[in-house]
Amino acid sequence: MIELKNIGVQFSGRDILKDVSVMFNPGEIIGLVAPNGTGKSTLMNVIMNYINPNNGKVILNHELEYTNKKNEVKIHQLVSMMPDQSDLYNQISGKEHLKIYSSMWNSNRKLIESTIKELGMKSYIKKNTGTYSLGMRQRLCFAMQIVSDTQVMLMDEVMNGLDPTHVELISQILVKKKSEGKTVIVASHLLENLEKYADRIFFMKNGELILVNAVSPGFDEREITTVRVTDLTDKIKEKFSKEFPERNVRTLSNGVTLIDVREYDSGRLGKVVEFLKENQIKEFSIGKEALTDLYSMYYQER
Amino acid sequence: MWAYFKFEFFQFFSNKKNIAIYVILLFFSCYYALKIAPTYIPIEKVDVNEIEARYLTREEFLNNVEINEGTHHLTRFAATIFPEWNEYDKERLDSIEQHNLKEYAEATYKWYAYSDEMIFRYGGGFLFYNPGYYTYGNNYATMDGHYAYLYSASRYEGYSEGTSNLSVKVFEERTALQTLQRLLHAYLPLILIVSCILFTVDIVLKDRQNPTLLQGLPLSDWRRLIVKGGVSLLGSILAILPLSVGLLIIGARNGFGDFDLPVPIYFLGEFSNITIGKYLIQNMLFIVFWFVFIISLLLFVSVTIKNEFANLLVGCVFVIAEFIYFARGVAVVWNVQWYPTSYVQVGQIISGYRNYLYGTEALTFGNGLYVMGLCACIFLFFTFLISNRRKFKLL
Repeated sequence: MIELKNIGVQFSGRDILKDVSVMFNPGEIIGLVAPNGTGKSTLMNVIMNYINPNNGKVILNHELEYTNKKNEVKIHQLVSMMPDQSDLYNQISGKEHLKIYSSMWNSNRKLIESTIKELGMKSYIKKNTGTYSLGMRQRLCFAMQIVSDTQVMLMDEVMNGLDPTHVELISQILVKKKSEGKTVIVASHLLENLEKYADRIFFMKNGELILVNAVSPGFDEREITTVRVTDLTDKIKEKFSKEFPERNVRTLSNGVTLIDVREYDSGRLGKVVEFLKENQIKEFSIGKEALTDLYSMYYQER
Repeated sequence: MWAYFKFEFFQFFSNKKNIAIYVILLFFSCYYALKIAPTYIPIEKVDVNEIEARYLTREEFLNNVEINEGTHHLTRFAATIFPEWNEYDKERLDSIEQHNLKEYAEATYKWYAYSDEMIFRYGGGFLFYNPGYYTYGNNYATMDGHYAYLYSASRYEGYSEGTSNLSVKVFEERTALQTLQRLLHAYLPLILIVSCILFTVDIVLKDRQNPTLLQGLPLSDWRRLIVKGGVSLLGSILAILPLSVGLLIIGARNGFGDFDLPVPIYFLGEFSNITIGKYLIQNMLFIVFWFVFIISLLLFVSVTIKNEFANLLVGCVFVIAEFIYFARGVAVVWNVQWYPTSYVQVGQIISGYRNYLYGTEALTFGNGLYVMGLCACIFLFFTFLISNRRKFKLL
């Protein structure tokens, strides 16, 4: 497990991370969600000790801290960060990259072949990475981290440049790593995907790390809380407010209108549906707030 | 650590700049072997016509001169010294006519020793060394001639006492091993040291192009630096391979010579011989120490200034710094033996020529290794301290 204790990072007098304290447990997929430039990468760089925080500390397994270079090596043996695809060596093959990472972390060599197979990289893995497409490079970077087989895995924008099939493939591997007891911390803009696989999701704003549940209590519970309507006109919205005055109706900047139906029984919920149908609204869903809605609310409306 | 070494080693030899350096060295070596080496004309060559002309002229003089009270003192002096001189020239002519190279070597050794004594000690202003030394702008022709005659005397003594196969090419130092010896005495060490600088300037800082790939490797910065230094050292030593191609070409044309051939070493005003094998080993060891010195210096600069141009500049300053304080005959520079820069002419240090130029006895092989080794240790020690600081980032 990895613990961040009162981490603070300032650049040019500006707080990038402000007193961040959090614990990431084994067997957990953590999602980090925030617009660009809000400190996700900084947080990961602090965990890797690429950036020295102005205050606070990173503690691994209750004992290891970045107090000296010896400990740094010990921590890096257990914590890895996915490389950026632009940093690959173009003149050597993907397989060579995997071999380098496997031998550096002294991990099981069989992982190389199994990862190549799982990610469907067999047809090109022996070619120089200079010939790879963005998606192929991204898969290779992911594979490199998988073969390093560390206890904690940090992945910044892991799904970048991947088609939906490979997004799903990588997500399945992440779930497998989670079941092996690894801590996987993923920063991603694919909110639906994160919502599906992450055990805990954090927003980042003003240097703070905020659990999504704190933004929307009950987010991770399986109950009907919201009716999501696309393209609800102001006129219908006004009409709805008159008919259901006690309901909280919010229209987000992405055009989605959220109708709070907490504590509604099926009869009253039916009336809401009936109203929407009568007013020729065809695109709506009943369930809970989506992560995209919360994101929209949190970053664009406040 | 071994995995990282293999990784760095692979990177080193796939680096386009490094490949270019090896190719340039190969080109240089072939060009030298095919174009420059064949045009080499030693001042002290085996020239039967020259010996014969000198011998006959002096013999004619001795046969006709009449010494009496009115004879000019220089004529008297010539009549005194020419008989022995001519005796050696006669022996040289006879032995070379009979293809007895051993005897030629012995007579030539005596001829050089006698010639130097006559010219240097007694011949001020009217006896001269080989005209080849008296070139335009050379204010030290007599000193050069003195050194070269004593050097040649010692060399021929070595030939006469040794067991090596002798030939005119051996006498004129044209065989492959002797050419290597001459090059080590000239600019070859500088070429190797500059190659080492070029190999090393980016060995640390190149990683800035792949930071996310390398930053998190579970290896300490100090160990990485040591591995990088080791790879650079190995790469620099392997620069000998393209250079040896030229040596093979010279060997095929002029013979390779053998490792027992003598190399004169100057110390305390006298020459003594060591074998060329020993000379080459000492040179190699010295050059390896130079590599270690340069690599440790550039590792230190890499972790402090973090700029490739600064690496290049600092490295080159150490190579050329001797020119700042050394000018022949201008002034005495004290304690030159404590400056690593005084040892850049490796072959000249081992042969003692540098001592001759500086008028000192302190620039020795042993002192050189001590100074270079000590400086390398100091640079590595500070690099170790810096790289182990908690907040230090290599990239």
